[in-house]
Amino acid sequence: MHSKASLALALGIMGVSGYAVIAAWAWPWKASLFPLVIGIPVFVLSTADALWVLLGRGAQATERGEIKDFQIAQDVPERVALGRTANATGWIAGFFAAIVLLGFPIAVPLFVFLYLKLEGREGWIFSAVFTAVVWVFFYGLFDRLLHLPFPQGWVASWLGF
Amino acid sequence: MIEALFEGLFLVLQWKPLAFMALGIVLGFWVGLLPGLGGATTLALMLPFVYAMQPVEAFAFLLGMHSVAATTGDITSVLFGVPGEAASAATILDGHAMAKKGEAGRALGAALTSSLVGAIVGAFALAIAIPMVRPLVLTFGSPELFMLAIVGIAFIASLSAPGPRGMLRGFLAGGLGLLCATVGQDPQAGIARYTFDILYLWQGLDLVAVLVGIFAIPEIIDLAIRRTSIAGALPAGRISKGAWEGVKDTFRHFWLTIRCSLIGTFIGIMPGMGGAVAQWMAYGHATQSARTAEERKGFGAGDVRGVLGPGAANNSKEGGSLIPTIAFGVPGSTAMAILLGGFFLLGLVPGPDMLTKHLPVTFSMVWTIVIANIVTVLACFLLLDHLAKLTTVRGTVLIPAILVLVFIGSFTSNHHYGDILVTLVFGGIGYLMVIGGWPRAPFVLGLVLGKIAENYLYISVARYEAAWLTRPVVLILFAIAVAVILYPLLQRRKPAHA
Repeated sequence: MHSKASLALALGIMGVSGYAVIAAWAWPWKASLFPLVIGIPVFVLSTADALWVLLGRGAQATERGEIKDFQIAQDVPERVALGRTANATGWIAGFFAAIVLLGFPIAVPLFVFLYLKLEGREGWIFSAVFTAVVWVFFYGLFDRLLHLPFPQGWVASWLGF
Repeated sequence: MIEALFEGLFLVLQWKPLAFMALGIVLGFWVGLLPGLGGATTLALMLPFVYAMQPVEAFAFLLGMHSVAATTGDITSVLFGVPGEAASAATILDGHAMAKKGEAGRALGAALTSSLVGAIVGAFALAIAIPMVRPLVLTFGSPELFMLAIVGIAFIASLSAPGPRGMLRGFLAGGLGLLCATVGQDPQAGIARYTFDILYLWQGLDLVAVLVGIFAIPEIIDLAIRRTSIAGALPAGRISKGAWEGVKDTFRHFWLTIRCSLIGTFIGIMPGMGGAVAQWMAYGHATQSARTAEERKGFGAGDVRGVLGPGAANNSKEGGSLIPTIAFGVPGSTAMAILLGGFFLLGLVPGPDMLTKHLPVTFSMVWTIVIANIVTVLACFLLLDHLAKLTTVRGTVLIPAILVLVFIGSFTSNHHYGDILVTLVFGGIGYLMVIGGWPRAPFVLGLVLGKIAENYLYISVARYEAAWLTRPVVLILFAIAVAVILYPLLQRRKPAHA
């Protein structure tokens, strides 16, 4: 998983920097100077990194533990971790879809309650009280106090509200 | 001068400035905690309220609020891995790792104490540097500032992942950050770059939306995979007890804290660099303070020095960035640009007058930074027990609450769904970087520095053509960048020959 993610990143950066350089070529020098100065070495370095993995030098890669960053849970079997990652991604994407379709004021309590009930398997009372607390915090601070403009969801717009 | 220093203190200690400072501290405390609501945004929102205030009251209110937001931004970074402020992101790497080891109290104690030391160093620098800083700022033209940005990226790229392969990835991550910073309308020719005819992208990628995504989403997924609390199965009793240990850590590594404070002050003085750069530079320096490769491995896994460095620099840069704002009317950061607006609203003109006629007002700003930080740190220590216990709350309860904060924090950047989409896309990239073993720090520094570096490069080439490369300070900075790259490689080879 480690080397696959690495390869995906190297190829992704190769694609992005390659596109950045090609697109910048058509611009006046004022606009293209910086993208070219950065894009060309990034393309060369990412190609080198991708080749490093593809030519089987992955074994000599930097030890994962030496990176100055945290590591995703190591004590969970890979298959289980993949399943839970997909599950978490689904919830995150679902929350975003709910915000777009229903708007923040409805999506926030709906998501919190459903997550606590279905994913957290919490009791009805705890789920309801916790959802209410989060909603009061959201509504009181962001809507009433700071007057942040939360647009209504697409569904409300389609229904003509 | 001494007389003006004390006059400034007496001005701040009157009841009205103190009351406005307290109000600013309360606002700044919450603004710092909430992801997305930045100190600069809040300064802008509060600016109209200073019309009716006296200058000392207005600066007590605005500076009290702003300097506190930088301190409390570290709290969410440590506890949840979500940056409360763009300038608090570096604290996540080791601060949140410590929270996962059950050392949230120690990490918070270290972050808060180093913040206080940093704020005092920054304020002290502001007090003594005003007459001396002019030649320093004038030595650094666009070519030198561009090279300073390159040194910053070289610094963090070479130190965040050891070995040639790690360094390669560090530079690639930094390069990707720089490229991402070019998205949007270019400032020189007005060309819409990499916008794909999407209007939202014309203003570029929002820093807060990207930061929240790249740091918070992988943490949330990690929490969902582990299905435990942030501190895992560690007993709750241990967690808050380490706060005093964190305070002692600050004094155990006192010179590192002071050096990082000075780095923050220096970056603060440089126009346009800002706190987000200062913390990563300080983190790089803290990493470099490790004597052996073995010791260096602890960084990113919960080394307290990785908390002390960014914590100190993050707060000391406030004093630093006030120096060019007050002395020359050149703001050192976005927040200082907004504060500059406050000067004009109050009828004050930055420049020589602030160092002569209005010197007590200038010193009142120094005292405001010091007093506001002392009050905040004391208040935070009182709340520390409760704050640290949040790391023992079940992950399934925390995840929806954190996600709500992440999405709202991201959305409030521009009030556009595009912000959330940016957060999700960069959350995916951040996740890939974490599982692939790529360092995220150089990417963030590249993104933060991109616009500034491009601007300085353009001015350097337009003004000096290729001759800018031969300027003495540029050559010195280039040599430093090369040394920063080579030093870890040479240090790594040492044990092999031993």
